[in-house]
This record gives sequence, structure tokens and C-alpha cells, in this order.
Amino acid sequence: MRRPPNIFYGVDDKPPHGVTVLSGLQHVGLISIILVYPLLVTREAGLSSQASQDVLSLSMIVLGIGAILQVLPRGFIGARLLCPPTFTAAYLAPSLIAVKTGGLSLVLGMTAFGGVIELGLSRVLRPLRPYFPSEISGLVVVMIGIAVGALGLRSVVGGTTSQSISEHLTVAAITLGTMVGLNIWTKGAPRLFCALFGMIVGYLIAAVAGMTTAEDFAAIHSAPFAGVPGIGHLGWSFDLGSVVPFLVAAFATCIRTMGDVTTAQKINDADWVRPDMRSISGGVLANGLSNITAGLLGTVGVSTYTSSVGLAGATGIVSRRVGFAIGGIFIVLAFLPKASAFLVIMPGPVVGAALLFSASVIFVNGLQIVTSRMLDARRTFVIGLSFMFGLAVDLQPQSFAGMPAELLPFVSSSLVLATVSALLLNAIFRLGVRRTRTLDVVPAQFNAVAVEEFIEAQGASWGARRDVIERASFNLVQSIETIIDGCNPTGMLTIEATFDEFSLDVRVSYEGAPLDLPDKRPTNEEIMASEDAQRKLAGFMLRRHADRVAATHKDGRSTILFHFDH
Amino acid sequence: MELREEIAGEVAILDVKGRIDSTTASTLGDRLSAALAMRDRRLVLDLRQLEYISSAGFRVLLLAARRADESASRLVLCGLSSKVQQLFDLGGFLDFFQIASSRDDAISAAK
Repeated sequence: MRRPPNIFYGVDDKPPHGVTVLSGLQHVGLISIILVYPLLVTREAGLSSQASQDVLSLSMIVLGIGAILQVLPRGFIGARLLCPPTFTAAYLAPSLIAVKTGGLSLVLGMTAFGGVIELGLSRVLRPLRPYFPSEISGLVVVMIGIAVGALGLRSVVGGTTSQSISEHLTVAAITLGTMVGLNIWTKGAPRLFCALFGMIVGYLIAAVAGMTTAEDFAAIHSAPFAGVPGIGHLGWSFDLGSVVPFLVAAFATCIRTMGDVTTAQKINDADWVRPDMRSISGGVLANGLSNITAGLLGTVGVSTYTSSVGLAGATGIVSRRVGFAIGGIFIVLAFLPKASAFLVIMPGPVVGAALLFSASVIFVNGLQIVTSRMLDARRTFVIGLSFMFGLAVDLQPQSFAGMPAELLPFVSSSLVLATVSALLLNAIFRLGVRRTRTLDVVPAQFNAVAVEEFIEAQGASWGARRDVIERASFNLVQSIETIIDGCNPTGMLTIEATFDEFSLDVRVSYEGAPLDLPDKRPTNEEIMASEDAQRKLAGFMLRRHADRVAATHKDGRSTILFHFDH
Repeated sequence: MELREEIAGEVAILDVKGRIDSTTASTLGDRLSAALAMRDRRLVLDLRQLEYISSAGFRVLLLAARRADESASRLVLCGLSSKVQQLFDLGGFLDFFQIASSRDDAISAAK
């Protein structure tokens, strides 16, 4: 793992305490925006304002525990990366339905059920990996970026009148301008805490513009300074009719966590080439535990927070210590209602600006993950069509109004529909894709470009990584060239390429002398002195370029295997 | 493989387009030998459009570098794509050849 140049404090680094706490506060500010989700459910449940405040405080404890679970440095729980949770629309939609049919107790019981499903999924992710390829994770991240950006835009203009919209836009523009400007043109503390500074500027400008109402100040004033949250609203129930919506929520959350952890891995490692499945499984497991905790402590479901992952990447502070700081701050805030009330009154334009800031980073990271894979026609349609279907939910919501009730959870958001569509299309389009392909080469008619086109076409149909296919392509062409030059092959050479998501194996077999694959490079003088040494150089390069090589010679037939990790 | 030669003052620039493999290496080798046949020659090899180079190509470049040394000439390479640069690294040639990041830098270095 190599730290990218824009990362100041890497995942294992220990930033100074001040940096850790301020960075933690920055994330807490961003995460707190979504505390509105449990409040929406308590409102539907008809809870008193005191009970709602209790739910809010318990929600903060859940967020704190979730943030800490993700950064645990040892064991099988957690992604070991800075990817704290927040409440998710994937669980909110079924929760709003469940609260009407079975009250808050059903929401809590089903949320814990969703968490159990996520625990189970975390244990089977590896064999399911072909069905969750990187480009779909990338699509999920793109859709999350769009959803976060759209939420940001709605937050800016939501509830405005023709008179107030210019004020809202002004506050949002100054807040966003502060964040982006500090991020691009400054160094040190202003850049590290650009989002926090932007939010502070936003609060001040919004107060000057009169957006912070007397009710807001009264809410802060009336909240006690310290207090233990009550648990009178707790209760749990289970309903078979709610299983499907919460199952979909668990799947969507699992895929979102996979996307977030993948993004966090990529932000942390300049040499990132493939998702680390241990980290992803640990992340999904931690999120499942967080959702069981959410159900038990009386709030709605959570998912890793893409905006926080984006914020960490934008500010260059990705240390695990910040995850512990976020957890600690939330748990302390849970017992300080006055302080948490201050976060709850964050003005809409400030919320919107912070979301737009994060959405930009998320969106671009998603695009990069999608394009890291070679995409043939099948994969192009999996991504392209799913993207369009997802957008249709936002652009043409009325088209889905007449759907059967049991299908509504699948079109509850652009993210869910795009994800479900991509998974289904990927599973369908996988049919007929052969995992092993062969090509015969006549030595006298060897055409290097045709061999390159063969492996590139296969790579695209498998959705293989571009860099792996380029390495395999070089090894194929260089090995065949050297065999024809120096091994006197008789008859045809046979190329066999096999792919299985975890590895690419390329075999070249022929009747003739074996190819020398030395592990020591010939000297420049030796290479200049003879063509034999030049062929040894070829063998040396082939050995180095593959992750593993094996050469066999039996009954006059030679076979070289090039193995590439994927 | 296509070769195109330009002159920039006292520096000759040879553009290489396509592939240097066992079938084309000798053509390039002959051209380089001719270019470096006389003493005190200044030669830039622009590899911007190079798609592939095999061990046969590296051998030709090594021989050209030796010839440049022997004739007190100067050979500078430029325009390596990341893919070609990876192959130079793979073969252990990055430190052996004089490689410039741009064509202008290569011309300056060759003078």
C-alpha cells in the first residue's frame, strides 16, 4: 500500500490530538445532517417531543458505536478504515411503511432483522464476488453521489419562497465557496478543516440572514445541559409482511457499504488495484452489528456514510483515530442534549453545501471505480441501463406510481433500482460468457496484433482489470515471439486463457524446446553479445511481469503458465 | 513500425511509431547505426507513438547506446508512455538510458 500524495494523515498515522478532535467534529457535523431520518420516523410514530429527543440521543450512541466498530484495528469486525455510519434512506423507506402498520416496535424489530441479514451476507461475500463486480460497486458509488448531491440541492432550496430563495442560494454559495476555496487554495489547518470552517461560516451567515429562527434558539435554550436518554419507547416486534422491504434494505446497505469501503481503500492507496475482501467483509459485518444495535437501542437503520468517506479523501485525514474521535464525540453528545440540539438546527443551505461538497468527491470516485474495469457490450449495458433506470426514479417518479405494492420497495430510490437492476442484468448477461477461451497460432503467420486483440476482447467480456490484461497481453506476445525465434516450435501454438474474478491464467503450449525463464537478468554486455542472452532477457521479463510462472516440458511438448492475481 | 527523421539544428530526431519486435528491430538497428556512424552526432529517439517493445527492441537500443559511446555521440530517449516506461522498468533499463520527460528537454540534453 502506497500513500497518495494528497493524504496527510494515513490510516495508521496518529495525528496530533487537536487535529484528531477537530477532524472528528467535522465529520460529526456532516453526519448529524442525517439525524433527521430517525426524527421522521418518530414523527410518524406520534412520539412525544421528549421521546423524540431520547431517540435522537440513542441514535447518536448508535452512530458512535458504529464509527468505532469500523476502525477496530484487530479481529474480523470492521473495515479498519475511516468510514463511519449514518442513517440511510435504504432503511428509512421501509421504516416509514412499517411504522404505519406495526408502530415503532415493528421498525425496531425489523431493523435488527436487517442487521442479522447483513451479518450473514458479510460471511458469503467472497463466493458472491462475481455477482458484485467492481463496476457495479462503482455504479453504486456514482448513484450515491447523485443521491447525496440531489439531497444537497433540495436542502438548499427546500421550503423556500420566491423571496427567500436568493438568500438561501447566497448562504449555500458562501458556505460551499468557503469549503472548496479552502480545499483548493490553502494548506495546513484551513485545508484540513475546510468543511468545518465552511459550516461555521454558514451558521454565522445564516444567522445574519435570519434563517435561524426564534424556535431554533428556544429549542437549544430549553434542552437540558446534560441528561441520560430515556428508553420508555423501546419495544420490538416482527412481521412476515415486512420481510421483503427490509431484505431489500439489507442488500442495498450491504452493496453501499461495499462501495464505501472500496472507495475508502482507493483513497488510502495510490497503488489500489482490487477490492480487499477482508476489509469489505469486516465493514459489512460491522454495519450489520450497528443495525442490530440500532434496533435494540430504538432507532432506524444505518449504513456507512459515503459523504464522510468523501470528506476524509478531500481533507487528506483518513486516520483510524478520527473514527474513534467521531465515536467518542457522538457518545458524549448523546448525554449533552443542549449541544446536540445545536447540530439539529443546522440551516438548510449549510446542510446542502456540505452535502454538495462531499457528493463531488463521491461521484468522481465512483466513475473511477467503474472505469478501472474493461467493459464489453454486456457490461456497458449493465452499467448504462441500470444508471438510466435509476435516474428514471428521480426524473419520472410518476411512471412508477401504478406498480404493485410488493414491487414498490425496489423503486423506492434511484440507488435501490439502479443497484437491483445492475445485479439482475449482470446475472443474466453472465450467461454464455465462457470462462476459458483458446486461440491457435500458426508460427509462420504469427500476428501480434491479433493475439493482443484476442486477450483484450476476452478481458472486456470478463470485466477484467485493464492493467492485468495489459500485462497478460505483453507476456503472450513476448513469449510467442521468443518461442518462434528460439524454441523451434513445430505445429501450432495454443493459447488458453482462464478467468475467475480472482485470477487470470494464461497458458502457451507447443511442440518444441522449453522457454528459459531465468530469475536473474543477463547483463547488458551479455544481451549485446548474443541473441541467446536477449531471449534470456525476454524470459526474465516474462517471469517478473506475471505474479507466478510455471514451465513444464513433457514428451516433447512445452507449456508455460502465466498467473496474474486479479 | 514507421520511422520519421527530423533535424532540429545540430540534433537529429527519430520518431518511432508502432512496434519494435523481432521482425522490426533490425530495421531500427540499421537506421540507428547509420545515424550514429559518424563522431559527435546528437540523436533524440522520440518514442511517443511506440506501442510495444520486446527484448529484441531493447537489444537494438543497447547496441545503439554502445555505438553512441564509441563515437562520442549522444543518444537521448523521450516520450515514453506509462506502458512503455513500465517495460523499460521491467527490463531494468530505466537507469541505463538517458531518458527525458519531453521532446524539448531531450533536444536540450542532446546538445
